Amino acid sequence: MTGADLSSMLPEMLPRLWAFALRISGDQHDAEDLVQRACVRALERAHQLRPDTAPLSWMFSIVHSTWINELRARSVRNRSSMDWDDDFLETVADPAARTPEEDVMNQQIVSAVQRLPEAQRVVMLLVAVEGLSYNEAAEALNVPIGTIMSRLSRARQAIGALFDGREDHKMKSRAKDKGSVS
Amino acid sequence: MKTDDIQLMAYVDGELPPQERDEVEREIDVSPELAERVALLKASRLPYRQAFANQTLPPVPESLTKKIEELARAAQAGQPSPASANDAVLKHGVHLPPSAPIRSRLRNAPAWLAVAFVAGVVCGGAILRLAPGVAPGIGANGATLASATMGASPWVRAAANYQQLYTRDTVAQIEPDTDLSAKTVDQIRRTDGLALRIPDLRAAGLTFKGVQRLRFNNKPLVQIVYLPAQGDPVALCVMKDVKPDQTIAQQRVDKMDVVTWRQAELSYALIGAPGNVDLPALAKQISDSRVGSIFSEATLARKAFSG
Repeated sequence: MTGADLSSMLPEMLPRLWAFALRISGDQHDAEDLVQRACVRALERAHQLRPDTAPLSWMFSIVHSTWINELRARSVRNRSSMDWDDDFLETVADPAARTPEEDVMNQQIVSAVQRLPEAQRVVMLLVAVEGLSYNEAAEALNVPIGTIMSRLSRARQAIGALFDGREDHKMKSRAKDKGSVS
Repeated sequence: MKTDDIQLMAYVDGELPPQERDEVEREIDVSPELAERVALLKASRLPYRQAFANQTLPPVPESLTKKIEELARAAQAGQPSPASANDAVLKHGVHLPPSAPIRSRLRNAPAWLAVAFVAGVVCGGAILRLAPGVAPGIGANGATLASATMGASPWVRAAANYQQLYTRDTVAQIEPDTDLSAKTVDQIRRTDGLALRIPDLRAAGLTFKGVQRLRFNNKPLVQIVYLPAQGDPVALCVMKDVKPDQTIAQQRVDKMDVVTWRQAELSYALIGAPGNVDLPALAKQISDSRVGSIFSEATLARKAFSG
């Protein structure tokens, strides 16, 4: 693929890249710079994009690696989920939601995902939210597919613990410990 | 069979072949621990996509949309990679610590903006073109200013659009690099062939911050940046233009006030955000040569011969 081929896809991908960058960085300014830098990097190495790789997952991977590099540069290796600034990521009452219960549920789901540890959160965003296959997510994050699945499984068990209606279970979930979802 | 988390997840999601599924079920029956994990995984089957679709995110910033479009256009036009161009500029451009966060790196890097600008203007005539006559802001001083109803020329519009990207923060932290600026001015005079002087606008409260050689339609475009005591930066942009002199005219390009004139085959555009600086008065001072110049010919000559 050439830069020209890729460049014609960028404007269309932009809203999803923006949303992804916002969700992983939790900051509008960072997200804007992130997307911009990722697009520059992608155009520089468009020739490395193989025909069997989905351009969108490839772009997610560049956005993600750019962000990881950025975190390293800032020496915030273990950005804890407590740092998460969700002032602007709040879900608001959605007029299209059928019931208030559904609306509350949506907010709880978003909140549960946001509070996952970084590595699990990104996998959840790619697979459950962006709809990437395990394979695509593995490519995007440059890890084996087994790693994707085990992160996903851990993430889902942590989230499951929050949404599990039973009273008697004991789950050592970070998210649960934070008591962020009630 | 040792059932692992991955298998359990596939089981919960109904993705196991029947035989494997039966095996897993037999194991769950005898292991409360497995049953617990299955319960959690089952509880995690949630409408994630729908939940996130209802999340209210800020819209894609217009500035980002613009920049990506510019990058895309530059790539399609077969321009050299914008990023490498940026690196090249940065080498002898603004020196910022490499560890600065993305945010500050970009905010403070006019070289980056220059790239966006060049990328935009090279093929951006179409997008930057305003309809002729759509040039509000001729202003109450119309009597003393030449008419600008034909609208700004393409390079002026490009430069004004570019200047919009500059905030006070963009340039406030830049310490002018005298050697670099002198060298740039020398290149402007010798390589680009523009008999340009850099006006010293300190008397008007404007601090010189830097001079850059940009290109518009493959012709040199000089951008001189000043910072007023308050408000956003002001730029004096200059291109060669072999036409008769023209008196100063004021116009509005998008959100920017622009004062243009032509003198000795150079077209000038003084560009700033409305409000803080009296651009027409400043333009008058510059065009009347009532201000000094920063890199005088004597300085340049000395440098040229000593180098």
